[in-house]
Amino acid sequence: MSVTDRTSLPLSLITPSAKACCRTDTGRGAAPTDPVVALVGAPNTGKSTLFNALTGAGVTMGNWPGTTVEVSRGLWRSTAAEVACDCETCTCDDADGRLDITLIDLPGTYSLDPHSPDEALTRELLVGKPAAERPDLSVVTCDAARLTSCLYLVAQLREQKLPMVVALTMGDVAAKRGVHIDVSALARELGCPVVEIDPRRRGGLMALAEAVRDGLGRPAPAPRATPLDDDDLALEDDRFAWIAHVVDAATGAAAQNARTWSDRVDRWVTAPVVGPLIFLAVMWLVFQLTTTVAAPLQDLLDDVFSGPVSQGAIVLLSAIGLGGSWVQGLVVDGLIAGVGMLLTFVPLMTLMFALLAILEDSGYLARAAVVTDRLMRSIGLPGRAFLPLIVGYGCNVPAISGTRILPNARQRILTALLVPFTSCTARLTVFVMMGAIFFGPYAGTAVFAMYVTSILIIIVVGLGLRSTLWRKEPIDPLVIDLPAYQVPTIRLTASVTWLRLKGFLQTAGGIIVITVAAVWLLQSVPVTPGKNFAEVPVSDSVYGVVSSGIAPVFAPAGFGSWESASTLLVGFVAKEAVISSWAQTYAVAEPDNHAAPGDLGAAVFQTFTESSGGHPVPAALAFMVFLMAYTPCVATLAAQWREIGPRWTLFGVGMQLVVAWTLAVAVFQVGRLFL
Amino acid sequence: MGINLAAAPLGTPLTLTHAGNDQAVAHRLARLGLRVGVAFSLISRTAGGGRVAVVAGTRIALGKPILNQLQAKVGA
Repeated sequence: MSVTDRTSLPLSLITPSAKACCRTDTGRGAAPTDPVVALVGAPNTGKSTLFNALTGAGVTMGNWPGTTVEVSRGLWRSTAAEVACDCETCTCDDADGRLDITLIDLPGTYSLDPHSPDEALTRELLVGKPAAERPDLSVVTCDAARLTSCLYLVAQLREQKLPMVVALTMGDVAAKRGVHIDVSALARELGCPVVEIDPRRRGGLMALAEAVRDGLGRPAPAPRATPLDDDDLALEDDRFAWIAHVVDAATGAAAQNARTWSDRVDRWVTAPVVGPLIFLAVMWLVFQLTTTVAAPLQDLLDDVFSGPVSQGAIVLLSAIGLGGSWVQGLVVDGLIAGVGMLLTFVPLMTLMFALLAILEDSGYLARAAVVTDRLMRSIGLPGRAFLPLIVGYGCNVPAISGTRILPNARQRILTALLVPFTSCTARLTVFVMMGAIFFGPYAGTAVFAMYVTSILIIIVVGLGLRSTLWRKEPIDPLVIDLPAYQVPTIRLTASVTWLRLKGFLQTAGGIIVITVAAVWLLQSVPVTPGKNFAEVPVSDSVYGVVSSGIAPVFAPAGFGSWESASTLLVGFVAKEAVISSWAQTYAVAEPDNHAAPGDLGAAVFQTFTESSGGHPVPAALAFMVFLMAYTPCVATLAAQWREIGPRWTLFGVGMQLVVAWTLAVAVFQVGRLFL
Repeated sequence: MGINLAAAPLGTPLTLTHAGNDQAVAHRLARLGLRVGVAFSLISRTAGGGRVAVVAGTRIALGKPILNQLQAKVGA
């Protein structure tokens, strides 16, 4: 983190000039000398919404060094309220009255007593570091509708010598529940400034900026007095007594437990039988939107890149004398194909991120976690892990990114390792063709069997990881606070969606483009004398030689031919390319209808018959199982790389290959006894 | 002593008398405001056999295993 010694801050940085100014964003990143402000608070108190509102586009997201905990940081260009510009035609100097702040969005926590790596990081950064390395000030978000449960963290922070501002959110929800908070009384009792804000509608942000600037310019307040003895229980009792006193003084009465419309909705949404049905309906909607709605847009982008864009590039290259050369191959089949593939994911990812943001912002995700908790607990995961796994059956890439809804970093990793075993729609096209070639009227049953196998693999691998690498991870019993339902705001949804989409494109984009270009390169380099670069049949390229080299590995599974192995190599890049790769290998046209494979089907059948020693059906089954269980595509890998880091991504690849190969061999060896 | 929360009636004022033997769970509940001596009520059943408790304005979903560990008496 960027370390700033509060005492060394120049006064000009923390004291705005009297001249008016406007809030503008020049796009400059935070400087090392900028003060550091930490955003902390209980989950679902609007902390991340506030972070997005304050930082806008200037945000970086990533794991905290040395941890798997994701922390967002951004530049907050704060402007004090009393110097805010109100002139009609502004001529003010942007720099006047503005203070650049490095804002860090720390993982949500109810207290400084950590129960997860995420909470441990929050504690470490707030109170575990030497004073000079801590944030210069903390903004603690507190939900006005459930003040009591938010104040324990405040009580603990007030026992430290830490400058702090309390940002009171959800005032509208509290008012509807009949809870009216006297902000002045609350500030007096807490011993720190309290500002009412509405981050979803950007209300109160100027006042918050003012309070933060004021706090940065003052010495840290004296810590709250606590019992002198070291008894933890006595200290805890003292904190709760203090909280009760503060709440009484600020609300004038005990908090209301009256039923709200949120409670009435919850009677159905979390209810036995009806709750799971509603959850399945929501999941179906998410699944439908992320596949059927995005699919035409994906196809359109794919057509644009493989059609007009590629044709345009060919025309341009021909005009400068490079038509038909290796440069054309590199540009069209390498770079344009890579960028095109990346961009075809944009509609899918945008929809996925937007839907997740809506579910999160509305408060439904917490309910989904309740409804699915019992089922997911059986494989050591919390209920909300169900959502990314379901989405994975549409596409693994947004599903991997969707693991971000899990609050615990270790659970995120475990879920991200399981997602690739969900059988995405890209694999479905191959299954349909394989079913038509090898299983005739039973093709549908064969495809269905792949989905059942996918579910079984997730359960078995989940239990396996749970009893080995994750065996020390406690399965916490379900205790989850349910935030009030809210109508999602367009601005917040768009902001979160853009932030996550940008992160995906930045991290995954390079990996996808480079990998697609690398495959083209391998297919273009000849190994046979007399062949020219980029004008070589696949079988005579480095790619063909590599395929032949690895083919024997698949012999025990019945598909140890170079044709099958090369298809699996292409499938590593994208499962969508498997069938076209076969068509290229056998030099036949790709069938328009994958359920009627024609000449291609006959060629594939012949290859499997030869490689399996006369047992093409079990070999085909083994191939389908392998295709289902091994690495889905390079885009999924890129998403994993971004979410769980290179170490776990590589571990996942290894695990998938071992599981896929073992299952494929088992299926073939058992199947050949009967078929 | 009191009644097991799994058997406690819905919509009735309750006071927690025992927060279970698992200190970690008791701490988690306390952070959310549910601790021994605090008034609360159960307002609905959830899928999986749990309940939603409301305490000081906070709605807390409790899983079935936890309900069996907690005890309460009727009345605030």
